[in-house]
Amino acid sequence: MSQKISRRDFLKLATAGAATTAVLTGCGPASRYITREPYTKMPEYTYNGLSTYYATTCRECAAGCGLIVRTMQGRAIKVEGNAANPINLGKTCARGQATLQGLYNPDRVEFPVKQGRSSALVNTPMNWEDAFQVVADALNNTNISEIAFLMGTASDHLFDMVSDLTNAVGAPAPVRFGALSMFESRATLSKAAENLLGSAGLPFFDLANADVVVSFSSNFLETWLSPVAYTRGFSRMRRGNPKKRGYFIQFESQMSQTAAKADEWIPVLPGTEGLVALALGRLVAEAKGGSVPRAFSSVDVEEASAKSGVSLEQLEHVAGLIAEAQSPLTIPGGQALGQSNGLSTAEAVLALNALTDNLGKPGGVFISPLSPNEDAYHRPASAKEMSDFIARMKSGGIKALFIHGVNPVFELPKSLGFAEALANVPLVISFATFPDETALTSDYIFPDHHGLESWGYQRSATGAMQSVLSGSQPVVSPMYDTRATTDVLIEAARLAGGKLAEAMPFTDEVDFIQNKLASLVGHVDGSFIAPEINTFSSYFQQHGGWWTTAVASNAPSAADALSKGIEAEEAEFAGEGEFFFIPFVSPTLAEAGANKPWLQELPDPMTTVMWNSWVAMNPETAHHHGLDNDDVVKLVSEAGELEVAVYLYPAIHPDVLAMPFGQGHTAYGRFATAQLPQEEFLGLVPYGGPVGDAFKRGANPADVLGAHFNEAGDLAFAGMKVKIEKTGRKQYLSRLESRIGVYGEGFPEEP
Amino acid sequence: MTVDLNLVGAKGAIAEAAEGKWGMTIDQDICTGCQACVAACAMENNLSFVGEEDAGYGRTQHWIRIERFWEGEYPEVKATPFQPMLCQQCGHAPCEPVCPVFATPHSPAEDLNLQVYNRCVGTRYCANNCPYQVRSFNWRDYHTIPERGNMVNGTLVFPLHNQLNPDVTVRRRGIMEKCTFCIQRIHKAQDQAKSEGREVEDGEFTTACAQACPATAITFGRMDHPESLVSQLAHQQRGVKHLEELNTLPRVTYLKEG
Repeated sequence: MSQKISRRDFLKLATAGAATTAVLTGCGPASRYITREPYTKMPEYTYNGLSTYYATTCRECAAGCGLIVRTMQGRAIKVEGNAANPINLGKTCARGQATLQGLYNPDRVEFPVKQGRSSALVNTPMNWEDAFQVVADALNNTNISEIAFLMGTASDHLFDMVSDLTNAVGAPAPVRFGALSMFESRATLSKAAENLLGSAGLPFFDLANADVVVSFSSNFLETWLSPVAYTRGFSRMRRGNPKKRGYFIQFESQMSQTAAKADEWIPVLPGTEGLVALALGRLVAEAKGGSVPRAFSSVDVEEASAKSGVSLEQLEHVAGLIAEAQSPLTIPGGQALGQSNGLSTAEAVLALNALTDNLGKPGGVFISPLSPNEDAYHRPASAKEMSDFIARMKSGGIKALFIHGVNPVFELPKSLGFAEALANVPLVISFATFPDETALTSDYIFPDHHGLESWGYQRSATGAMQSVLSGSQPVVSPMYDTRATTDVLIEAARLAGGKLAEAMPFTDEVDFIQNKLASLVGHVDGSFIAPEINTFSSYFQQHGGWWTTAVASNAPSAADALSKGIEAEEAEFAGEGEFFFIPFVSPTLAEAGANKPWLQELPDPMTTVMWNSWVAMNPETAHHHGLDNDDVVKLVSEAGELEVAVYLYPAIHPDVLAMPFGQGHTAYGRFATAQLPQEEFLGLVPYGGPVGDAFKRGANPADVLGAHFNEAGDLAFAGMKVKIEKTGRKQYLSRLESRIGVYGEGFPEEP
Repeated sequence: MTVDLNLVGAKGAIAEAAEGKWGMTIDQDICTGCQACVAACAMENNLSFVGEEDAGYGRTQHWIRIERFWEGEYPEVKATPFQPMLCQQCGHAPCEPVCPVFATPHSPAEDLNLQVYNRCVGTRYCANNCPYQVRSFNWRDYHTIPERGNMVNGTLVFPLHNQLNPDVTVRRRGIMEKCTFCIQRIHKAQDQAKSEGREVEDGEFTTACAQACPATAITFGRMDHPESLVSQLAHQQRGVKHLEELNTLPRVTYLKEG
């Protein structure tokens, strides 16, 4: 494999290979990248004006959507969805489209550096040989139990490698985290599935075949779990059946983008979603004429109506729709579960599905299948588990910390104290591609390639009925002097010797991936069949992954789903103040989109605000407080405070303030931060403040979130109360919908 | 096809002209407002972002934007269905006759509104006269703003330029631009079909926005082929055309809720 093969030889071999059904890749480690040539000097296999297309996997979130990237002369030009991949079937979200702006971002970490925790990115390159030695020494000289790996939710092959490595030497298993999974309340969802449905996997809600959908604050059209797959499901629910249009009802305290698509948006007080679900269960059971199952027996419908602010008529109306529907579906969302009573809310909603007898049926609830080559569902760490991790850091239990694919300084609530805990870790090594907040506070940055320059695979946790493993391959040669983290670990393990070297006997990353794919060779029920690993790898690259052809998702057990009594406990709210505070993930930026300028310039679907943060407030409430659009207020919670401009949002509960998560970076490149202090900007007032060499853009709601968890360990992020203080200043938000204000022409009448 | 719209008794011809050659339908019942089309359009057509300040002044380069309006007051408030708005490729376009330099002519071959960048002198009359407000003007040389590049050995390098689509012009300051129905894709598909001695098939290619749309709300194709998907969708009862009363003959049909 490693010998050089000329193109002519390769063609001969490939022709011969076709006869024996095996395809030779002819790729040694050195020839695994396509080179980027100037347009004037074209490789012999390209024609002027003709593109080359490569299949790979999107890494903007962990959903694992397949991509086809159009390249010309070694440049990636355009990202499209891979029509064959069962997760996205040829479609992409805005973040997937903008992934090229990450690849060609002018603010990448271009070479390994000894960062030394300074506020700006260090500009002197290190030698990669020295970098390998640093990692090897860290692995060798640290007590095995005091090594820790903190990883993001994307790039599963790296997670597998680190798991193998830590297993082999008896180090603690790697911890994975992502703000998206925190705001999705994934732990609560899995725990409820375990309690009620007998399986701790991730439930899959078959929207496409449902006819009445009732969602509790679930933002499945925005960022929730697998947004492209759920958007397709929604589209089919509405228009897939020409005879019947699916009906969609959303209970949520503010009208999110998802709620805006609902036929009925019913405002509900935060924390009472479980109560509403139980009341609906009782009413549906009564409407169907059977006895009320134990799950719903404790609820008093009138009390539920009074507490939630949903009128009795509305409850009866929705219950009637559910009772009469052929395949009704109820979905619990991250906000409803990110409460002190989140677990019982999740159970109540799943029990409602069991009551309507849709478990394991079309239009109902399934347990997402494990991916090919996956032993068990590896849920990302909950906030409670992260809190325990931070406690270990604080107590000095971690001496060497490796961080990849996650930015905990920005993503975790400030009150958990990750940034302070970092000070107690003697050695922090980051593998960040971008100079984000966490990378800057590291001792070393050994940058990984961008996702589009990388090999790998990603398991699809949910989104399709099939079991899916999406494959990645480099679509361009690396722009800068970066190295695949897997290669760094292989090299470091070799230098470290001993058990580590034994655990990593691979020549390079691709060798490791082939090793992991070996178990799939010869499977007959997959998207392709290959007789041996080299052929399999080639097809894996060509098709962008491997997935089963048959339905692999599991029907949950309905046996105990209704027999357990569910108590709707009163939600507890932390802090004092008159407002419920609801952070939600920005649909366009998500957790890591802020450094991509086109994502910044996409208007938020509901407020049309670009490039900044806002807090959504009911116009009546604002009027009562003497506040108007673009007035800067200080939000004060028990855990902290932040300043943000007010957006008068007509569709939000008067007692609720909602704020997007995604902005508020103090590092992460020129587009995520501001280059000018805001007082110079637009000639207006200061906003945020100088941090290092960059200025803060917008505000991060994680700054005011307290450390409160629900029973499943998820953060009770929607269980905060805040108060507001006027600052008397203005911050004019750039929005698509109205230019008035920016020109100083006064304000429009209230919407 | 040349149609004298002032000719008495030309109603049949007007109806035919109203169909045009290329058309699009947008199903507002399933459009989720996710902005994937906006991003896809920007990536395909070398649109430049303009930054926070210019965006606040309404100078964004969005060839397609998603509109939503509010109706009623809390709690009976409703957001109107998301409405992607783009150049309607009018058969009888208000932008065309006002251009003093013929930079926005009508293509007889494709029956589309063209924008000839190297003729445009930036009077902005066309944008002024567009009832759909879908034209955007280059107020600066956005692609080469120095802050977007890095100084490498004394040279200003723009890594973002690697992404530029070689099939599409990069527009400079003082130029008006708008949605082209991805004319570069139309031409590519036609060239391909011609070289293979056949007609372009329905669904063989599509525009960037339609290709990305996760809800499959956007459909593009030949309106003059009655059996094409877009024709069939456009003739559903749900179909409406915006500002039809201005007799602009828009080529984009919106499918209403319900």
